[in-house]
Amino acid sequence: MNRLALVATGLLLSTTAAMAQVAPFDMSPMPEPVAGGSPAAEPAGPPAAPPAEPEVSAPADPPAQPWEQAAPAAEPATQASAPAAPPRLRYLIPYPKLTLSGETDTQSWSVFLTREQAASAAKLNIGYQNAIVAAPELSTLKVMINDVAVVDEPIQSSDAVRDLTVNVPPGLLKAGSNSVTMSAIMRHRTDCTIQSTYELWTEVASAGTYLSFADPAASGFRHVGDIAAVGVDAQGATEYRIVAPATEAAGAVAPVVRLAEALAISANMPNQSVFISQQATGPGGPGKLTAVVGLPSEIAGVLDRVPEGATVSPVMGFVDDAKTGPSTLVISGPTWPSIASAIESLVIPVDREAQSRRATLSTRTWRLPDAPMLRGQSNLTFAQLGAATEEFDGRRFRTDFAFGIPADFYAGAYGEATLLLDAAYSAEVLPGSHIDVYVNGNMAATVPITQGGGAILRQLPVSVTMRHFRPGANTLALEAVLMTRADQVCAPGATGLTTPRFALFDTSQFVMPDYARIARRPDLAGIAGTGFPYNRAEKPVALIVQHAEPAALSAAATLMAQMSVAAGRAIPVDGTLTAASVSGRDAIFVGEIDTMAPSVLAQVGVSETTRTAWSPMAFDATETSSTSITDAAFDRWRNELSGSGWHGSVSSLEDWLYRNFGLTLGSLKLAPSDSAAYTPPGNVGMIMAQQESPDESGTWTVVSAPTTSALEAGMKTLGAQANWNRIGGRISTVDSDLHEVGTVDVGRFHFFETQPASLSNYRLIVANWLSANALSFGAALVVMCSLLGLSTKLLLSMLGRRA
Amino acid sequence: MQKLIIVVLWGIISFAVLALVSLPISLQTQLIASVFVVILMMVLKLVRPEGIWRLIALSFGTAIVMRYVYWRTTSTLPPINQPEDFIPGLLLYLAEMYSVMMLALSLFVVASPLPPRRPRAPDMDAKDPASYPTVDVFIPTYNEDADLLASTIAAAKGMDYPADKLTIWLLDDGGTLQKRNSTKLPESHAALARHEELKRLCAELDVNYLTRAKNEHAKAGNLNNGMAFSSGELIVVFDADHAPARDFLKETVGYFAEEPRLFLVQTPHFFLNPDPVERNLRTFEKMPSENEMFYGVIQRGLDKWNASFFCGSAAVLSRKALETTNGFSGVSITEDCETAVELHARGWKSIYVDKPLIAGLQPATFASFIGQRSRWAQGMMQILRFRFPPLKRGLSIPQRLCYMSSTLFWLFPFPRAIFLIAPLFYLFFDLEIFTASGGEFLAYTLSYMIVNLMMQNYLYGAFRWPWISELYEYVQTVHLLPAVVSVILNPRKPTFKVTAKDESISQSRLSEIGMPFFLIFGILVIAVLMTGFKIYLEPFKSDVTLVVGAWNLLNLIIAGCALGVVSERGQRAATRRVKVSRRCEFHVDGQVLLGTIENVSVHGLRLQVLGIESEMLLGKTGGVRFETHFDKQNHELPLVVRNFETTGDMMAIGCQYMPEVPLHHRLIADLIFANSDQWTQFQLSRRGNPGLLRGTVWFLGLALFQTYRGLVYLVRSWSPRPAPALQAKEAAR
Repeated sequence: MNRLALVATGLLLSTTAAMAQVAPFDMSPMPEPVAGGSPAAEPAGPPAAPPAEPEVSAPADPPAQPWEQAAPAAEPATQASAPAAPPRLRYLIPYPKLTLSGETDTQSWSVFLTREQAASAAKLNIGYQNAIVAAPELSTLKVMINDVAVVDEPIQSSDAVRDLTVNVPPGLLKAGSNSVTMSAIMRHRTDCTIQSTYELWTEVASAGTYLSFADPAASGFRHVGDIAAVGVDAQGATEYRIVAPATEAAGAVAPVVRLAEALAISANMPNQSVFISQQATGPGGPGKLTAVVGLPSEIAGVLDRVPEGATVSPVMGFVDDAKTGPSTLVISGPTWPSIASAIESLVIPVDREAQSRRATLSTRTWRLPDAPMLRGQSNLTFAQLGAATEEFDGRRFRTDFAFGIPADFYAGAYGEATLLLDAAYSAEVLPGSHIDVYVNGNMAATVPITQGGGAILRQLPVSVTMRHFRPGANTLALEAVLMTRADQVCAPGATGLTTPRFALFDTSQFVMPDYARIARRPDLAGIAGTGFPYNRAEKPVALIVQHAEPAALSAAATLMAQMSVAAGRAIPVDGTLTAASVSGRDAIFVGEIDTMAPSVLAQVGVSETTRTAWSPMAFDATETSSTSITDAAFDRWRNELSGSGWHGSVSSLEDWLYRNFGLTLGSLKLAPSDSAAYTPPGNVGMIMAQQESPDESGTWTVVSAPTTSALEAGMKTLGAQANWNRIGGRISTVDSDLHEVGTVDVGRFHFFETQPASLSNYRLIVANWLSANALSFGAALVVMCSLLGLSTKLLLSMLGRRA
Repeated sequence: MQKLIIVVLWGIISFAVLALVSLPISLQTQLIASVFVVILMMVLKLVRPEGIWRLIALSFGTAIVMRYVYWRTTSTLPPINQPEDFIPGLLLYLAEMYSVMMLALSLFVVASPLPPRRPRAPDMDAKDPASYPTVDVFIPTYNEDADLLASTIAAAKGMDYPADKLTIWLLDDGGTLQKRNSTKLPESHAALARHEELKRLCAELDVNYLTRAKNEHAKAGNLNNGMAFSSGELIVVFDADHAPARDFLKETVGYFAEEPRLFLVQTPHFFLNPDPVERNLRTFEKMPSENEMFYGVIQRGLDKWNASFFCGSAAVLSRKALETTNGFSGVSITEDCETAVELHARGWKSIYVDKPLIAGLQPATFASFIGQRSRWAQGMMQILRFRFPPLKRGLSIPQRLCYMSSTLFWLFPFPRAIFLIAPLFYLFFDLEIFTASGGEFLAYTLSYMIVNLMMQNYLYGAFRWPWISELYEYVQTVHLLPAVVSVILNPRKPTFKVTAKDESISQSRLSEIGMPFFLIFGILVIAVLMTGFKIYLEPFKSDVTLVVGAWNLLNLIIAGCALGVVSERGQRAATRRVKVSRRCEFHVDGQVLLGTIENVSVHGLRLQVLGIESEMLLGKTGGVRFETHFDKQNHELPLVVRNFETTGDMMAIGCQYMPEVPLHHRLIADLIFANSDQWTQFQLSRRGNPGLLRGTVWFLGLALFQTYRGLVYLVRSWSPRPAPALQAKEAAR
């Protein structure tokens, strides 16, 4: 209750005097009395309507109403059929699936639980299946909650998903964040090769991995603070269903989007989407949260019962509604501004100032610990980054950590970070073994082990190219590939030897130098990484959305919600503007392609013909565009012919250059080339495009698709974490069967400064630009050296003896 | 004002270039830029290698070198917490930085060498001889024999200058009172005999003989003794074997009238015989001599900065200037350079005349060559230690840089030794003293090396062929390193040792100090084998092994070539023949025939005559009569016929001089030394720039053959009787 009180206080302070105070209403059962005993009213199944009779009450006179005023009235209606009730579930895995692979793998994240969930007796269910080659006697699966091991089992379920159910020790779960760690140690049954370690996997099924709570009270949300506990569904996804009957009104756009942002930031789940409708949707389920927002008159048709008092002052709270299901968040008030103020009360606790800097990126719901932001010269030990000291007796050791990079990162072409490795390998390890470093899954460095006989590496510097760094959270993985004589022989049981071969110490460091920082337009990677540049908006960002269409508004809300999560702040929006009035400011356009003004499309580099030619007709997953057929055929021919003849050797030279220097013929350029207007090919379902605003002071981003449904589906796909991180370039696309995210590289771009002017930063910016446009460095060198030669000639003719 | 603008402009542009090359650009960009610059330098080289284009190309090269330095400094040093890597790594780094610094100093010195000055002899001829300054010619000698001295004195006597203004002094340090009174009987005996013989020679040639009581301060003391007994306005110094051409004084003396603060006119040392390297590699006739780089470019470059210095001989000095420093300075064993430093610091000026006006001899054996170089190196170290030119008051900044370049050059044995050893650290001990990937090596180090070679080619191309500097430095390093170390430890210890120049090698043999070269060669061969093993056994680091192996192979090639250098070829005629064309009468067997003298050397001449009966000429004595330059009279020089051949009506006859009286020496000198243009012609004939590529291929071939020859000599030195097959092969060559 304290938490709620705080929210209210904050709200009290923030809302103007003229505005009525939001009155939370609470329909929860008696908080304390029934907790242990009688099972709560639960729906028979997720789709079923709740039998509970929710009593929504709002204070008529806010100051007079205590927060808990309505609570006693909310009594469970039915007390029956407890044994038959399905378990109250909290799915744990924030992804569609969790695969632990290789000889050792650990994943750890945090799960937010409500007070009631934490207090309840709980069982942990784990469903997993593993590769047949994993030797059960050598492989273990370990699950820890709040660093206490609750599961420590041999991995032995190769033919079907195996369910493990254990009781969670009482008192282990806490209200708020709880860490969950799943780690697998696997060894191959027979094979000792490095290759064989790639065959080892354990898949933890999202649908079969959950906490089930005995206490019926654990199923619902009572306070706005519980929003963070929304969790995920059986597929690892989170959906906010916002029922807003009045979205035709432009004035409703901003509050609804703000609500989506507030919900998304509060829960901060990796795969979130917003679904906006004008009618009531069915009851939700795990990972789904329904919010109804509107004037009392508007929501009357949606809700079974409209909260009392909403006609007088803003109200906000969870209700169990007969139509919309249990734990429906209802926000209402006499006017839209008052509703907006109620929504702001949700925003405030999760918002931050535009200028404030985050020390970390909040990644905890999918990865612990939070990724520290590296804005320049920084030096972090592995301990600080969450990679612990480990000893390892297998063949392929892998560990990773995450760090955050700001959106104005501009060092991809030249930059190098350094790892100072503290590690050791035993005498068993043969030269030829190596330690590889991957950044975001791309090889970034390799350290060959060239000396046998074991060694301790002390602060061994390893240069890691920044080529694969991107704005937002990045992961750096360290993989030691260890070869031994014993593995070459591979006597029976050799895979189970337990003498440590390799150790990585957490005193190792990740050293980030000062790097070039300047923002570019366009650069969609900034949006994905930190919501940049909209994250810095002081005044509301113009959101021009085809708001009459809930699907388009859903897409816009999903986009803004994900951007706000990336930004770590709720991005302010203004939904009342038109394209004509935003030429000088940051703006986001969301809508069907034919609602987009031609001038807007032209500005973001999308061809005029797209409006007519990009039809839903092409929206067929089975159709492959002719260009991709051509490309595939060309690749096939090239592969077949490569290596033969003179052309073959030219292309193998190119391969060699690429392998050794990352050099392609494409990198031989003097300056970024102009980008041609983009016309989406037939297999593209949705596009996101960015450019400068016409007067070059703002950033315009357009999200569009042939239809609003394609728009909504496309944005939902793009919003999923795996895809979100692939956004980049000047245009990002989602293909029409919603699998692939493509990007169109940035051609010409414009800088805009984000940092105080400093010579050292400019120097690094120039270094990066010249590295990205390799020929220009040569050209600059030639020009400067020619000038030097000329001026030296002048100088020499003046100094010393003359001829 | 305009000056200031240019200086500021240059400063700004230099700063901009510096800023540009110190950008932390990516490896790919570096690679592209390097390829770009190398191609551009090649094109400039082919199209227009001089003037402003030369400076632009050098700027390109400088940029790449600076990028290398930046990269080398920021990302290749081994971590300091691995001292076994770090310490040798740092040494290698310092060695490379020394090389870069020397390159920078050379760039400054030879940024714009002065073109050869116009001849001054006509000016002098136009003047009234009465206005000529009086000149004392000093020929210091210690142990050279009378024949050699006779021809030098004769040549000096033959110089075109009013006799009343020219006094020639033979300064004998081998016949001093100290030596004559030596307690060691053989020494005193020899000194007495020498004293008498030279006195007599001088009397016959009509020059002054001077000796002194004690051998104090070696050559400098001897010269100062000469100064004390003479009074000419100008002092000319000729080493005992440096015979001047007729026009020596006419070409040099005039400058003193033009520039009152002038203390020195230096001329190049031109050698009639090959040095041991040239002789053993047989490059004397086709490749520019080692010292031509110094006299052909560096002295001209120094001259630009008023910093050309005294090289001990073939120079004219002002008595007035020398008196301000109490004569020649003798603290170091290179009194010449030391004297120049002192006088430059007092504001006196020097001039370099780029025309060979003397012809001399150089050490014939490898051992005496090394002895000479040790003296130079030790002397320069002493100057560095006692005079420290970079901080010497009175020197201009360019002069300081120039002297830095000249003295610090002699530290080369250190980096050369480090470059030789460095790859072995990796190949034998697995130490990684240079942290870089194969790709980085390609983009930075290889481009640096190519650019460095190209810059050297730009600077010295016609005077120094590719890899020859490296070869000379290597062959000297082996013995110079201990010498330089000892002089650094004991700066006052080294004493002046006169270089022997009149030795000859009658039989092919290994140099007595050649063994270390074979040892080093052996180690490098083992290292090459190690490279192969490593690539085979440790394929995972083959890129680094290949790079280091290639470096070691380069060392091996140079070391192999050096085996040839220390394998002394036996040679009959050690001296060069000079082409002449002079009418003469040839007397033999009572016949008098008209002929032409074709070419001459210090030992004999070859002439062509018409209509001679060829019977039994061999071994006959005769004479040749020709008109001399010095008195325009006909004189006869006795000869003995050594060989002949008939070509059509003409017969070519090779004769050896049989000088009997001093006049004969003057005749020989008149033949050989009368015309300095011949020497210029000869030098020009060798000055071709083969270019980097052709030069490298040529050097490879040379190295391969010399390695073979060195090994053959080695095998032969082991077996008591040379294998006949090898002997025959050698003879066939």
